[in-house]
Amino acid sequence: MSLLKILEYPHPRLRIKAVPVAAVNDTIRQLVDDLFETMYAAPGIGLAATQVDVHQRLLVLDVSDDQNESMCFINPEIIARDGAEITEEGCLSVPGVYEGIERAQHIRVRALGRDGNSFEMDAEGLLAVCIQHEIDHLDGKLFVDYLSELKRQRLKKKIVKAQKQTSVTA
Amino acid sequence: MSTSAGKIGAASRAAAAAAVDAVIHNGRSLEQVIPECLTEALSPRDVTLVKALVYGALRGHCLHQYLISKLLSKPLKKKDIVLESLLSVSLFQLLESDQPDFAVVSATVDAAAVLGRPHARGLVNAVLRNFLRQREVLLKAAMQEPAARYRLPVWLLDRLRSSWPDTWEAIAAASNLQAPMWIRVNQQRTSVSDYQQQLKTDINLSAESSAVCPGSLKLESAVRVDVLPGFESGHSSVQDIAAQLAATVLAPKPGEKILDACAAPGGKTGHLAELSAYGANITALDHSAERMQRVTENLERIGANATLIVGDAAAPEGWWDGELFDRVLLDAPCSATGVIRRHPDIPLLRRDSDISALTDLQERMLAALWLVLKPGGQLLYTTCSVLPVENQSVVAAFLQGHPEARVLPVDCLEHVAAKHIGPGHQLLPGNPLDSDGFYYALLEKAAE
Repeated sequence: MSLLKILEYPHPRLRIKAVPVAAVNDTIRQLVDDLFETMYAAPGIGLAATQVDVHQRLLVLDVSDDQNESMCFINPEIIARDGAEITEEGCLSVPGVYEGIERAQHIRVRALGRDGNSFEMDAEGLLAVCIQHEIDHLDGKLFVDYLSELKRQRLKKKIVKAQKQTSVTA
Repeated sequence: MSTSAGKIGAASRAAAAAAVDAVIHNGRSLEQVIPECLTEALSPRDVTLVKALVYGALRGHCLHQYLISKLLSKPLKKKDIVLESLLSVSLFQLLESDQPDFAVVSATVDAAAVLGRPHARGLVNAVLRNFLRQREVLLKAAMQEPAARYRLPVWLLDRLRSSWPDTWEAIAAASNLQAPMWIRVNQQRTSVSDYQQQLKTDINLSAESSAVCPGSLKLESAVRVDVLPGFESGHSSVQDIAAQLAATVLAPKPGEKILDACAAPGGKTGHLAELSAYGANITALDHSAERMQRVTENLERIGANATLIVGDAAAPEGWWDGELFDRVLLDAPCSATGVIRRHPDIPLLRRDSDISALTDLQERMLAALWLVLKPGGQLLYTTCSVLPVENQSVVAAFLQGHPEARVLPVDCLEHVAAKHIGPGHQLLPGNPLDSDGFYYALLEKAAE
């Protein structure tokens, strides 16, 4: 197990579109375990492989209150969606920023589990939000992309400035 | 994804108070109330919290009610009675959660406004602060009041004490503990050890198997069913080990004709199908068409078939096709006093006067279903009650009138059940299995 480094916005590699996982083997399972470890340590409730600079379609999440309901989605696809709801979101790649984002309220998702078996599930609430947020990462998209151009530029400036300061003091 | 630190807000507390109020003051069941109080505005995280608050408030209600009566200088006005439930939710937190006291008090004050009682903010604040100041003295006094001390209504305590003079205190204590999550592994689809391994690998969850009931696993912590591996394809089901023992004790075989009376929601029907290797001819009977829908869903999930009949178990003439059954499971309607740990609303909804109507129904169902059982066949009478009037007394009276009936011993229950005070086996809350309270009497009809 190891902690992986999370890329931070506006890192260009966050924009790479991930490719499907060819086979769920031990290497992939190791990656899943490392993603969980990294996510829990951050602490976050979801993490996509893209965020740790691995450009394969897999993500992990745990939206439970006690952080004891880990879920893993490999090659996830949203096969149905309806409704719309605004939820406050944050992102481990955009630390310190929380904004209300509108997404589908209910989704049905198909994916492979850690065992390589295909499954389908319905999700709503925070779980649905988190799945959509993480699948966006696999497509090179970030939640700040949904904000107005003005707001995003302002955030970007602030973040870049903060990053520079940290690298000076480090 | 990450979230800004979420703390339990006033909205969750207000929702919990409304649910508790619906149980206490409108006599509605948790099963009805919980889905209603979970409004769209609550996130899944809030939902978990609201449920914990509702269960905690109901478990402690008899104690909280006592404390509130001591803290209020005059009773609440009828239109403000919901505040009693709000205070109960907060007392649960002050007594049993690790939330800082000040956070509980301030969120409760806000919740009074959410409930449309902004005028009561001062009252709520004063009551809770008073409690914090006099906590020790009040709790000491509460220990002198049986209902507050054992956190169960007096009528139930009286019945427990007279039925189980040696163990009633342990029964009361175990009834107020949170129940563990038991699952049933479908041994037609996977093995218990493989499933145990899968739980560990897939969701990093340990589970303990049971020597008494093969197929049962006790999870180290509760999880949502959708994370259980293979749940949707029927590899496992959620069911207390006591309920799993029903079908296990009845031991259906392929080719047999089986009746599951009072079948909804169908957990035991599905188990009967699994244990007979999907080879038995099962009839599931229930009086409620609405609840029968749950049986359909349960059976579909595990891929089992059964003939579903909406009818009255006490009146077979209305539904029976005239063909005798090899085995009958009668899980009779009862006071549910054995499953209070899962349904803390039960002791608050039931009245002492309900019990005699239940025993009457139990006697009629048992006598009626005996007629549809083959000579040489077996009928298992079960309840999730711990009251002997619904169990041993019903069976003893039945045996008196039916010389062709005899009670079979059930070895696997012998060392976990309470000492015999009549026919059959009684599991009491707090038993070594960590099961719900449950009663079993396996009756055999003499061959002709």
